[in-house]
Amino acid sequence: MHVSILILIATVVSGAQSVISVQRLSKHYGTKIAVDDLSFTVAKGEVVGFLGPNGAGKSTTLRILAGFLGMTSGSVEVCGHDIRQESIEARAKIGYMPEAVPLYEEMRVVEYLAFRAELKRVPREHRRSFVADAMGKANVEDVATTRIGHLSKGYRQRVGLADALVARPPLLILDEPTAGLDPNQIRDVRDVLRALGKEHTVLLSTHILSEVEASCSRVVVIAKGKLVAAGSLDDLAKKRRAAGLVVVVRADEDAALAAVRSVAGIAKAEIDDRASRVSRDPGDPCVVTIRASWSKTLDETAVEGVIEHAVSALVSAGCFVREVRPVKSTLEEVFAALTTSEPEVSS
Amino acid sequence: MRSFWPIYKRELFAFFVTPLAWVLITVFLLVQGMHFFLIVDHFASAGAASGDQTPLQAFFGNTVLLYLVLFLLVPPMTMRLFAEERRSGTIESLMTAPVSSAAVVLAKYAAVFTTYVAMWTPTVLYLVILRRTGEIDRGVAASSYLGVLLVGAGYLSLGLLMSAMTKSQFLALVLTAMLILSLFILGVGEFIARDGTLMHDVCAHVSVWAHMNDFASGIVDSRHLVFYGSLIVLPLFVTVRAVDAWRWG
Repeated sequence: MHVSILILIATVVSGAQSVISVQRLSKHYGTKIAVDDLSFTVAKGEVVGFLGPNGAGKSTTLRILAGFLGMTSGSVEVCGHDIRQESIEARAKIGYMPEAVPLYEEMRVVEYLAFRAELKRVPREHRRSFVADAMGKANVEDVATTRIGHLSKGYRQRVGLADALVARPPLLILDEPTAGLDPNQIRDVRDVLRALGKEHTVLLSTHILSEVEASCSRVVVIAKGKLVAAGSLDDLAKKRRAAGLVVVVRADEDAALAAVRSVAGIAKAEIDDRASRVSRDPGDPCVVTIRASWSKTLDETAVEGVIEHAVSALVSAGCFVREVRPVKSTLEEVFAALTTSEPEVSS
Repeated sequence: MRSFWPIYKRELFAFFVTPLAWVLITVFLLVQGMHFFLIVDHFASAGAASGDQTPLQAFFGNTVLLYLVLFLLVPPMTMRLFAEERRSGTIESLMTAPVSSAAVVLAKYAAVFTTYVAMWTPTVLYLVILRRTGEIDRGVAASSYLGVLLVGAGYLSLGLLMSAMTKSQFLALVLTAMLILSLFILGVGEFIARDGTLMHDVCAHVSVWAHMNDFASGIVDSRHLVFYGSLIVLPLFVTVRAVDAWRWG
């Protein structure tokens, strides 16, 4: 509910300077619907993560934004240019990195980037410096004179990034920039992205959530071509309220469990075997970790009351409470909940 | 059209960086050289018996070798133009840059035509050789080369279209070869169909052989110019539409 208000506010505030504005976008491949009535905006200066499971329509949407595919219905504006009516002007504002990072194998990196710079209308006198700059930002200077066909996947990915950057476009659209990279390379690309976020508006698609947490200020989540959520990472996490409670007590297992289960509002409570230290010595009570989850009807404000009741129940049952903390759902859990259930469109 | 120039340069680069280009050029010059040698040899031995034909006319007009070479040359030159980009996905980077479809198509066409012209350029040497032994008619030489360029331009245009029709280079090659061959065979129909029938007229109109005979005799018929003009422009136009149409696929 409050997410939708936030989106509304964000839309109104950013309306004047939204870099991407997608309105009721649909794309059908024959009878298959790839994108279904999708609307969202990206404001200037934002780094937006475009999330969704594989096959959700992420690449299709980005290809439409980049002007490579046509839409079945709806409209897309990039920097104020309609992608259908003023396609070339709109494309001139975008640095796009396709998912597969297609490159001309027979060219050397610096030749390729010079070609791309010329194609993207960088004036002749700036071309050399723009290319050098893009190579620096994407960290490909050491392979400048290598043929692209001889490059490793990680380097190809970065050459693709340099290509997206070379004309210094106000908007970067990156389709899975870290796909197929090893953890070190992912970290490198992530650093580059974070730096880019300071100068460009970035829309990047991914299905890796840690990437979003690391680099994005806002996320747009789609599933089966439909928008399921949009907002800041915190908004998303709030969308799923804290899933439950973890208590660590020094007490007898069964007594502690019974005490937690007696509290109204707790649906389920279980001993976390991995975290609990169970001692066979009868004189030494064990340290028990209990995971409890709220019943579904519980609302945000009642949660605090339930925590208080749980603690007092435990204390009166003779348990020594060592730790009580609510469980935040991880972004993974939010993502799973959002994309597997029926889409609950926030508007 | 600002994007014409970079794409044109890249296409030329891409063609000459592959061994295919050099193989094609070598084979082409080898065949043309043999062809020229045979003709000169024939004229040298036959002397006056060769009638009113000149070696130039024979070279451009009266043998099947010219078409055979074009038939073998054009399909591998044009097959990769679009098919390769679509297969490897580079078409996505190309078409998301601020370029118009027409500029892309024209640049690719201009590049392959430039290559074609470059292939023929060394044959100008034959004229130099012929001049050392006798007179050559400059007008005939000019019209002959005009004919060669027009026929080639038409075939290349067809090849470009076929390359835009499929993602498979091989299929583009086969389709182009079949089109060129059927156009040629249709032309042969001129000699098979009875005089005065519609079939005969149609065949005569599209007969590349007859056209080249005219060009090699110094005749520049406006009907031929219109025919080759259409053969160049129509496929190019359809190609631009095809490139636009991928967007909606």
